[in-house]
Amino acid sequence: MSTASLLKLGVAGLVYVSIAGAALAADKPLAGITLNLASQNDQFAPVIAKLAPKFEEETGATVKVDILDYGSLLTKTQADFIGHTKNYDLVTMDIVWAGQYADNKYTVDLTDWIKRDADEMKLDDIYPSTIKYIGQYDGKQVAFPFAGYAAVLAYRKDLLDAAGLKVPETAEEFVETAIKLTDPDKKQYGFVANGQKGPAVAQDWLQYNAQLGGSVLDASGKPAINSEANVNSLKVYKELFDKAAPPGAVDYDWGGREESFRQGLVAMMETWSVGAPGYYDPSMSKIVDSVAITTTPVAKGLPVKYGLGGWGMGINADIDPAQQEAAWKFIKWLTSPEIQKEFNMEGAGSYIRKSTLADPDLNKKFPYLPVIAKSFENADGDYRPRIPQYPEIQDLLGTAVNAVLVGGVEPKAALDEVQEKAVKLF
Amino acid sequence: MATTSVGSIDFPQRKAARLRFQDRRRLFLIALAVPAVVYVVLIALWPLAQGIWYSFFDYNLLRGGGRRTFVGLANYAELWTDSTARRALINTFVFTFAAVALEFVFGLCLALLLWREGRFNRICLAFLLIPVTITPVVVGLIFRALLAVDYGFFGYYLAEWGISGPRGFLASTSSALPVVILIDVWEWTPLVALILLAGLKSLPGDILEAASADGATALQRFRLVVLPLLLPTVFLALVLRVMDAFRVFDIIFVTTGGGPGDATNSLMVYGVKQGLQFFNIGFASAIGNVAILCIAVLCAAFTLLIRRADVRANET
Amino acid sequence: MKARTRQIAIERTTLVVILALYMIPVLWLVSTAYKPPREIFSSPPSFTFSPTLFNFERIFQLFDVWQLLKSSIVMSLGTTVLSLLLGVPAGYALARSKSRYAIVVAYFFLAIRTVPIIATLIPFYLMMRDIGLLGTWWAVILINTTLNCAFVTWMMFSYFRALPRDMEEAALTDGCTLWGAFYRVALPTVVPGIIASALFCIMFSWNDFLTPMFLTNSDTKPLSVALLASFGTKDITWGTLGALAHFSTVPIVLMALFLNRYFVQGLTKGVH
Repeated sequence: MSTASLLKLGVAGLVYVSIAGAALAADKPLAGITLNLASQNDQFAPVIAKLAPKFEEETGATVKVDILDYGSLLTKTQADFIGHTKNYDLVTMDIVWAGQYADNKYTVDLTDWIKRDADEMKLDDIYPSTIKYIGQYDGKQVAFPFAGYAAVLAYRKDLLDAAGLKVPETAEEFVETAIKLTDPDKKQYGFVANGQKGPAVAQDWLQYNAQLGGSVLDASGKPAINSEANVNSLKVYKELFDKAAPPGAVDYDWGGREESFRQGLVAMMETWSVGAPGYYDPSMSKIVDSVAITTTPVAKGLPVKYGLGGWGMGINADIDPAQQEAAWKFIKWLTSPEIQKEFNMEGAGSYIRKSTLADPDLNKKFPYLPVIAKSFENADGDYRPRIPQYPEIQDLLGTAVNAVLVGGVEPKAALDEVQEKAVKLF
Repeated sequence: MATTSVGSIDFPQRKAARLRFQDRRRLFLIALAVPAVVYVVLIALWPLAQGIWYSFFDYNLLRGGGRRTFVGLANYAELWTDSTARRALINTFVFTFAAVALEFVFGLCLALLLWREGRFNRICLAFLLIPVTITPVVVGLIFRALLAVDYGFFGYYLAEWGISGPRGFLASTSSALPVVILIDVWEWTPLVALILLAGLKSLPGDILEAASADGATALQRFRLVVLPLLLPTVFLALVLRVMDAFRVFDIIFVTTGGGPGDATNSLMVYGVKQGLQFFNIGFASAIGNVAILCIAVLCAAFTLLIRRADVRANET
Repeated sequence: MKARTRQIAIERTTLVVILALYMIPVLWLVSTAYKPPREIFSSPPSFTFSPTLFNFERIFQLFDVWQLLKSSIVMSLGTTVLSLLLGVPAGYALARSKSRYAIVVAYFFLAIRTVPIIATLIPFYLMMRDIGLLGTWWAVILINTTLNCAFVTWMMFSYFRALPRDMEEAALTDGCTLWGAFYRVALPTVVPGIIASALFCIMFSWNDFLTPMFLTNSDTKPLSVALLASFGTKDITWGTLGALAHFSTVPIVLMALFLNRYFVQGLTKGVH
C-alpha cells in the first residue's frame, strides 16, 4: 500500500467519523441538558442511578439522582416548590402527596401529554389503577407512576404447616392465626407491623383499618377519625401488638419490620411488595426457602380490595418548557416496557405494567409477581386519603396510635383527640 | 493602666496628642468590631426580625396560597393550650436541667480523675474526645440500634434479664426521656470534663499547696479553694451546654422521633416539624422565639447565680 | 507513698471502665460497616461475623462519597476561616474597649449563638434564593458563620480580656502602630485560644445537618446530610450507615486527637 492510498484511507476515515458524529448528534436531541432528580431512598433509587447513564447514551441528557430519606425529600422538594427555586426538575412523589401537589400546582399537569403520547407509551399495558391513584387528583395528573407497590401478605410456609394452620383469607382469621402462631419462649411471633411514632405506625394502622372496615374520612370527605369502626380496629391493632408481635415492634419502622421478618422472628407480615426481593436474597435473609407471598386478607362481607401504594414522578412546574419536555422524555423512557423490565431485573421491586408482571424472566426470578398483578387489578389507593391535609392527619395519627400501642391511652380517647385537631385543618 | 505608661508630666501639647491618640485608638477598635457586628446584624438579625413578625400571623406556606392573617398572640397562646406543644415545652426544660446537671457532675468527676499530669491521662483524654466529635445523628442511631430490644447488644439482654420492660427502654413512656437524656450525657460529658479540666490546670499551684499545708482534707480543699476559683470555668461549661441542650434536636429526632406518644417530644423537634415539614411558619416562629427567650432567661439566671457565689467566695 | 500508688491504681481503673463505656458503642458502629447485612441484626445478638466490604461498595453506589467529603471540608473550613476573620478582631476590640457597652455587645454575641435554626432558616432560605446563592456552599457558610463568628467573638473577648495590656502599651510607646500592637503583640499570645475556637467551629459545622439539608443540593450536600439518607425507609441500612460514618467521623476524630493539646491549652487560658 502506498503512502497516498494510506492518506486517502485516513481522510476517508476522518470523513466517516465526522459524518457519524453528526448523525450521533442528531440522535441525541437532549445533548447538553441536565435533569436533576430528587429520589426517595427506596429500592428503586440505586437502580435509577445505575440506569441513568444509559438514558444519557440514548438522548444526551444527563440525569443527576439525588437520593434522600423520606423526611428530607418532603422538606427539600416542598421548599423548592414554595420558593420557586428550580433545584429539581423531576421529583419522586409518594402516592399520598397527590392532593397537596394538585392543590398547590407544584408539578406540570401531564393529562394532555399522556393523551398525546398514549400509543408511544403503550398506555393500555399500564395498570389503570396505578395511573389513577399514583398522581391523579382533582382531574389533574400531577405525577406519572413508575413504581407501583401492592400491599401483600408475606408468610412462612414452614411455621404455618407446623401449626397445621392455613393462610388466613379474612382479616378476622388473620388475627386468630397470628395469635395462635405466637410463642414468645421460642422467640416466634405471629405478626409484625410498624409501631414507631410518625408515618410508620400511621400508615400501617391505616392498612389494617381499611381491612377491618374503618375509614378516616366520612362519605362527604370530612374527617371521621373517632368513628366506631376506627376505634374497634385500633383495639384489634393493639391486641395484635400485645399478643402476637415481637416486643420491639412498637419501635419498628419499615426497616425494623422487614428485618424482623427476614431474620425469621415472625410468621406473617403485611407489607409492600417492594420489600419482597429481599426475602429471597440469601445475603440479607434467613428465610429464603420458607417464605411465600399472597394477597392481603379482607374483612368478611366487604368488597375485595387490596392496598396500593408507590411512587410517581412529577415535573417541576417552575422549570422552562424545554426542560419540562426533556423531563417528560425521561419519564416515558423510565416507564417504557424494556426499561421497566431491566429496572426490575436489577431488583427495583417496582411495577406498573402488565407485560412486566407477566414477563417469564422476571417470574423465574420473583415467583410472587401474579400476586401483585391480582392486587393491582382490585386496587384501592385511597385507604390513606390522598387529600392536601394528609401529612398533618398522618402526623396526628402517628402520635396517637403509637401512644395507644405503648399503653396508657385508651383508643377512643386517642382518636377523639385526633378528630378534634383534624377538624381544624379542613 | 493605659495612662500611666505615657509619662508622669503632662505638657499641654502632649495632652492633646494623647487625646488624639485615644480617639484614633477608639476608631481603630470600632473598625475591628464593625465587620462582625454588621455581618451578624445583616445575616442573623434580619431573618430573626422576620421570624418575630411572622409569629403574629397565621401563616402556612402549604395552604391558602401562603396568605397571612394577623392573629396577635394566638400562636404563643397555642404553645400552652395545645397539649402537644405544652408537653414539648415541659420535656425540653426537664431535658435541659437533667442533662446539664448530670453532665456537670460527671464531667467534674472525670476532670478531677484526669487532673493528675501523666502520659496515661493524656491518652485517656484523647480517646474521650472521640464521642464529642461524632455527629450527633450518628450517636443517636448507634444507641437506637444498641437498645433495640429484639437485636440490640444492650437492649436484648436488658429485656432478657428483666432490667428494662419487655419492650425496652425507648418504647416506654416512663423511661424514654431518661434514656434520651443519658444518651446526651454520654455524648457531652467529655466536653464538660475537658472545659473543667482546662480550668483546673490553670489554677495557681501555690494556693493549692498552701491549702494542703494547712492540713485541710481533700474535700475541704476542693470546696473552699478549688471550686470558688473554678467558677468562671463552670460558668462557661454550663452556659455552653444549656444553650445546646435546650435546642436538642438530632438525638431525639433519630432515636424516638419524639415518641413514644409525646414522651420525648422537645421544643425543637416539634418546631422543626411545624416549620420545615408543614411549613406552618407563624407557629414555628413562635416556637423559635420562645426558645430564644427561655435560653436567655436561663443564661441570665446562671450569670446571676455565679456572680453571687463568686461574691460569697471572695468574702470568706 | 503506698497509699498514693493505690489511689493512682483506683483512678486508672475507673478511667479504663469509663473509656470502655465510650469505646463499645464506637467499636460497634465501626464493626457494623464490615458485617454482611444478614448478620448485623440477629436475635439474640451474635458477636462473630465474616467481614465483608459489601457496605462500602454500596455507599459508593449510592453516593459520590468524595464529593460529599469535599463539601463537608469546604463548608466547615469556609465557616471557620470566615468566623475567625470576623470574630477575632471583634473580640479584641470589645476586650480593649473602655466603653460600658462593650460587655453588653459581648453578651449580645453570645446570645446570637442561641438562636434556634427554625426561627431563621426559612427567611434565610428566601434571602439566598433572591441573591442566587441557594444550593451553593456559600449559603451554608454564610448562615453558619453568623452563629460561629458570634461564638468566636465571645470566646476571644474573654481571652483578650484575660491578657495583660502592658505589652501592647509598651509596644505602642515604642512607636508600634495600633494594628501592630494587635497583630504582632496581642495575637500571637492567644494562638491556643484561636485554635480552640477554630476546633469548636469546625466541629459545629461538620456535624450540622439541618442547615445544609435545607440549603444544599445534590452536588453540594455534605456527609452529615447523606448519613441520614443512607438510612433508607424500607431497609435498616446500618451497614451502609457504619461505612459512611467512617468518612464522616474519622477526619474529625483525627483532627481532634491531633489538636487535643491546643484544645485544653486554649481553654485553660480562656477562662481566667
